Amino acid sequence: MKAKRKDNIEALFRQKLDKAEVVPDPSVSTTLMRKLARREFLRFNPAKFNIYYLGGILASVITAVIVLSSGSNRSDLLAPTYFSGENNKTEIISKIGGSSEKTTTQESDILSENSIDPTIKNEVTSAEPKNANPVQKELLRDNSIIIPANVGDSFSKKGLFTELSPDIKKLQSGFKGDEFLFESSVKEGCIPLKIRFTNKSKSYDSCRWSFGDGGYSKEKNPEWIFDVEGEYKVVLHLYNSDGMQATSSTIITAYPRPSARFEIAHEKDLLADNEIRFYNYSANAVKFKWNFGDGNTSELFEPIHRYAEYGSYNVSLEVNSEYGCSDSQTVSNAFSGSEYYINFPNAFIPNMQGPTGGYYSSKSDEDAQVFHPAFSGISDYQLKIFSKLGILIFESSDINIGWDGYLNGKLCEPGVYIWKVRGSFRNGEPFTKMGDVTLLRN
Amino acid sequence: MMSDQQIIDGCAKHDRKAQQVLYDKYSRFLLGVCLRYATDKAEAEDILQDSFLKIFFNIKDFSGTGSFIGWLRKVAVNTAITHYHKNLKFRYHVEIEDYVSVETGVSSFEEDFFTSDELYRVLNELPTGYRMVFNLYAVEGYKHKEIAEILGIDINTSKSQYSRAKVVIRDKLENLRSLKKNYSENG
Repeated sequence: MKAKRKDNIEALFRQKLDKAEVVPDPSVSTTLMRKLARREFLRFNPAKFNIYYLGGILASVITAVIVLSSGSNRSDLLAPTYFSGENNKTEIISKIGGSSEKTTTQESDILSENSIDPTIKNEVTSAEPKNANPVQKELLRDNSIIIPANVGDSFSKKGLFTELSPDIKKLQSGFKGDEFLFESSVKEGCIPLKIRFTNKSKSYDSCRWSFGDGGYSKEKNPEWIFDVEGEYKVVLHLYNSDGMQATSSTIITAYPRPSARFEIAHEKDLLADNEIRFYNYSANAVKFKWNFGDGNTSELFEPIHRYAEYGSYNVSLEVNSEYGCSDSQTVSNAFSGSEYYINFPNAFIPNMQGPTGGYYSSKSDEDAQVFHPAFSGISDYQLKIFSKLGILIFESSDINIGWDGYLNGKLCEPGVYIWKVRGSFRNGEPFTKMGDVTLLRN
Repeated sequence: MMSDQQIIDGCAKHDRKAQQVLYDKYSRFLLGVCLRYATDKAEAEDILQDSFLKIFFNIKDFSGTGSFIGWLRKVAVNTAITHYHKNLKFRYHVEIEDYVSVETGVSSFEEDFFTSDELYRVLNELPTGYRMVFNLYAVEGYKHKEIAEILGIDINTSKSQYSRAKVVIRDKLENLRSLKKNYSENG
């Protein structure tokens, strides 16, 4: 067969595997039919269908009734929240990123800006109308619920006091010019970013925070978690019963979170080659620190590491993003399914000089000269080696003595031999394994 | 002996006999597809079961255009991809600038030199991320742009994962080839 010059890995796999067939275990068919029967039963159960439909209809009717009946009381409910001096703990989630502070000298506009979103009405049903100003009530009714046209971008960059009407300026005079009215525990960090905001203002009746991601709070010192990366303008609104208000804002930056993820290659190679490859699937990371669990570390992206001995090691990877946040992943006992195992190589190259009696060491392992297992937790052991014709060539009940490839002082023919091992682990669990090994000539 | 059309009609009505015939006729082929995407046969059989459930419930979606076996295969591949996403704890991408591996050479392999079992084993031993990209590109024939969408990764990640997968595959095939050659020469 002529060897082609081109790289033909794709063609090789496509040709061999495209139409390959593999026989499934008979239990697959039984389990499948059982799952199928269950699913079909659920699918065609008419009683369930009816219940879902009924439930759906009831739910929508009830919602409609609530919406219609509360329509006429809307304006009553809005007024007291802002001007009664109560600080409700209710958080109002609305779709607007931040309400506009664009103001004119008309009082009606001030009020319409405070009426954020139709959903508010549901939250404030508990508030009792206190000393609602009758004039303002009327105005509210006229203006009903209007979402202001220009939302969120009428602040100056510094975020302190914008150009406000003379009435509102009166409120301002209690505050110094450049002083922030609030503090935040931090201004930036990686998500999820938890921040405590503290309202340091004085002389106001009520306040409302908007966090710039759609969230609101009316608490004095709320805590907020930003869980999506981005830049957010957090605004504190202050109100008093004269209908005046002031605002202050700051920018919070939430950075993406790095995520550490790796995979360890499973190499079923000769004993002598203990090199393990590590694959790195981390995201948003620029620095890497691997710990192989044997005292060695690496800062490469995808290292290859050779362990001096078999064992079960805890491998961990710690990554850092360019903003300093970190994440890590650890795989414990990365190299053994359990503490007890016994594995044989599939080939070895006996020493040409003569029989060595089967003793092996890491030196002899470098040249793969003795056929022996890698193991842990073995208490009983018996190994037998057979030729392909079934003739017993070698046996050993000492796990520290392997096969050097000789029989009666003569080097055996290269080729495939069969090995069988039986024994038990330290926990008493018995094992029996067999396989083949290729004796290679140097 | 039921024809494909009879099988399809029967399964659309959830006729148990038609479903069994469909399984008997195509399960070996579809397991061959699933095994490419899995780490071992047991996982492949899980994917196979999920694929058949999808096939039985969505068979009315088979419009009749294109081959039936092609449609079956597509369902199995999509199920393998869903299975992969479900088992993925984090999404991954790689900053391509620093980590593109250089292919140090080209080697070709005689096509009948390896058995399909051996090729399956090579795939099963790959890390999952490499295996997905390699299958989708080399065997299913998707382009990197499509693979990026399917797996939710960057297109550059798909390309780099693919070239690195090939390096690993080539290594394994070369090792396997020299082992086999030694054996046949000496015994």
